[in-house]
Amino acid sequence: MRLAIVRGSVTLSPAVPELLGLTLVVLEPVTMDNLRAKNGLGGGKSLIAVDALGAAKGQMVAFTEGSEAANPFWPKRVPIDAYCTLIVDTITTSSQPLAKEESEVQQ
Amino acid sequence: MFLARIDGTVVAASRHATLQGCRFLVAQRLEADGSTGAEPLVVIDWLGAALNSTVLVSTDGDIARQRFGNTTPGRLVVVGIVDPIQTTGGAA
Repeated sequence: MRLAIVRGSVTLSPAVPELLGLTLVVLEPVTMDNLRAKNGLGGGKSLIAVDALGAAKGQMVAFTEGSEAANPFWPKRVPIDAYCTLIVDTITTSSQPLAKEESEVQQ
Repeated sequence: MFLARIDGTVVAASRHATLQGCRFLVAQRLEADGSTGAEPLVVIDWLGAALNSTVLVSTDGDIARQRFGNTTPGRLVVVGIVDPIQTTGGAA
């Protein structure tokens, strides 16, 4: 799952029947630099995801991509490829990037 | 599958029902050239990976489906913890 900030929502009319009743949100993925800086910025290429948790604008979510995004609707088949799996309450990261030597140790 | 470094933890009260009680960690993908992925990843862990440890992450959701049921959106799972690199003393 990647992390993203909810930036808005999308409504459709018409839409394929499989999508009726689903909430669609606009997500802006968060880069490692912005996560460490805790600056509220995303920085990734935005995308649309299904949200069943009720994430509000500005909240950070983790979203599943790929065919697994449709699993919550199993055995119904729905044409979606991104799904909000959790709403982040708090997130802790080591504030420093990986030491260069450390990440290159196995070269 | 790819290697990643565990970089933090995620607290999330609101989550998909199949993933209650599940441990979520922030991981950073490690590339062969020594660089790391630009975006952090949230991975599911039940092996007990420690902060700063290197883990093997699978992108196949099958193992998550086996554990959490067919309706789980879980996908990135820690499937192994890489042994720490050990060097012998000597030429320092």
